[in-house]
Amino acid sequence: MPAAPAAGDGSVADVLIVGSGAAGSVAAARLAGAGCRVVCLEQGDWAHTADYMSATPEAELAWVQRWNPDPNVRRDPADYPLTGDADIRPVMYNGVGGGLVQWAAMWQPLLASDFRVRSLDGVADDWPIGWTDLAAPYAAVAHDMSVSGLAGDPALPDMEAYPNPPAPIGKIGEVAARGMDRLGWHWWPGANAIASRRHGALQACQRRGTCMTGCPENAKATPSLTHWPAALAAGARLETGARVAEIPLDERGRAVGAVYLDREGVERLQRARVVILAANAVGSARLLLLSTSARSPDGLANSSGLVGRRLMQHPYLTVTAVCEERLDSWEGPWGQSIYSLEFAETRPDRDFVRGAKWMVMPHGGPLFAVSEFHDAHHQEGFDALWGENFHRAAAEVFGHAFTWGVQAEDLPEEHNRVVLDPEVCDSSGLPAARIEYRLSENSRRMLDCNGERAVEAAEAAGATSTLVRRLWPTGVGHVLGTTRMGDDPATSVVDRWCRAHDVANLYVIDGGVFVTAGSANPTATIMANARRVADHVLRRRAAPEVPR
Amino acid sequence: MSEGRLTRSQRAALARLADALIAEGHGMPAASTVGVPGELIDRCLEAAPVLAAPLGALLDELAGDAPDTFARRLAADRPDDFAVLSTAVVGAYYLSPEVRHLIGYPGQQPNPLSVAAEPDYLEMLERVCERHPGYREAP
Repeated sequence: MPAAPAAGDGSVADVLIVGSGAAGSVAAARLAGAGCRVVCLEQGDWAHTADYMSATPEAELAWVQRWNPDPNVRRDPADYPLTGDADIRPVMYNGVGGGLVQWAAMWQPLLASDFRVRSLDGVADDWPIGWTDLAAPYAAVAHDMSVSGLAGDPALPDMEAYPNPPAPIGKIGEVAARGMDRLGWHWWPGANAIASRRHGALQACQRRGTCMTGCPENAKATPSLTHWPAALAAGARLETGARVAEIPLDERGRAVGAVYLDREGVERLQRARVVILAANAVGSARLLLLSTSARSPDGLANSSGLVGRRLMQHPYLTVTAVCEERLDSWEGPWGQSIYSLEFAETRPDRDFVRGAKWMVMPHGGPLFAVSEFHDAHHQEGFDALWGENFHRAAAEVFGHAFTWGVQAEDLPEEHNRVVLDPEVCDSSGLPAARIEYRLSENSRRMLDCNGERAVEAAEAAGATSTLVRRLWPTGVGHVLGTTRMGDDPATSVVDRWCRAHDVANLYVIDGGVFVTAGSANPTATIMANARRVADHVLRRRAAPEVPR
Repeated sequence: MSEGRLTRSQRAALARLADALIAEGHGMPAASTVGVPGELIDRCLEAAPVLAAPLGALLDELAGDAPDTFARRLAADRPDDFAVLSTAVVGAYYLSPEVRHLIGYPGQQPNPLSVAAEPDYLEMLERVCERHPGYREAP
């Protein structure tokens, strides 16, 4: 008979949060700030500014291993393997701040129509909430994240002004915008959680262009700067190196807290009155599936059978526009210079529904330029790319290119899912997450159409050639839908307040609760929703019938 | 050349192999002449240690083969091994200050941005607003 786990620190938290990233940090700061005793368990560690390679000459080499976004490449002890033969394999960062350590900081609210996909387009499902439910939280988290951007985009509902003016769109944005202007297509200066001036905890952006391998200037918003200092000051306890293995239930079917393995591999129990999962749509689904019992043999909160299912990502293609003029396109910020929602809505003349969001980004240093050039020209053979001809890539592309990233809305399909790997385990001996994901025909058509349009946009911007990557096999870190919210317990995992239908004191607040994916970068919505749910937890805490 | 992550013989092999990938031409120097087999490969492998062991094994394998033939065979038949070799060589090459100067790359340097009160693009943006039908309302 296994020994009972040791107590965490012996205390019973008001709220236990699993995961310290976009969602967990917002909830921790909000709840601790309101007086709750908050404990957060994080399997990784702090990523300190001094750990980044971004301010060194070796900055581009950070991608090769240490700061690669793919945990299977990075292989940090805190990472868990992602197995399976998926058309797109998710990427993520496991440590304080989660994916927001390596994100590009693009800040994009969902469209109003994204919440009503079934009603408007007859596919997928409507969300139980709408844009107006998130309007105030969107504004609040944009302030906390020191977002720089320009309100007034006619493709979006009215929004409060962002706290900082947009960063200059730079040479790449100017060239790309002129192309969109010639075509008469929508574009707008990009909003990014990168400070265009000193604001809150952030310094002003220095345009290093190393946003995705960690900002050495502390100009990019990440929870270790924007949320955790306030949460810790308010008394929250953040336990790093704590890998959660199970959410156990008591005899009444309520979550007791979390069983986790500490750095030494000792199994511990942290008790709590309310448990919030914020470990991303792969990690939270994995944890629920790991938490089996006689009461929930197929995994916790899984009476619907939907835990892990409906996994959505954002199928992603890039069209790099190579221009005559020098664009100094290694310069940052590596957020979105400009974006376009021209093709984000369903159009009757297309053979697919829903749409894609586009964004212009820099093109990086010479190592990336050569890599992309070689990928695009590999069919020309060894002699065309190596030897004397090696220098073609840098001469033609480096510093002369910008990239249109095209992010397609993925529709939910139950066969796309996260399951427990029957053989492969993480460094703690817990089953890895196996990803079963196939690109849908709708997504494939959407990518094909948008790829052709993006080439047109590049040519209208004056590109002399284009480099097209039709589908990135590793994703953009947007994992959604595996614990969807809804009003019907038979067809959803959590309710409109992100509380599990099956477990009264268990919440899930990461991207898993998304009903549909939209085409927007999801962080703004994940954080806004976490804020909305945290406020709900506070209201329930004040109510007499709610356990405290 | 010093020992370190690579042996003396491995560095000699790297010098030959690196020039098969990056030869002199188009006004640019060959890999070996800017120091790829020396300090630059050490810095590259320090930044990406995952490359060190497989690169060393490949260099041992080269032995007396013609480097050009060996590189072509890797590229055609062993893409993962070729990726290790090419990433290490190209990564080291672009660490060279001489090479960076020749291609006009200062590195990922700080360059403070300045926010204009009235950006040049406002006229184009007005046209976006004029022609856009407005966002799609949701019930």
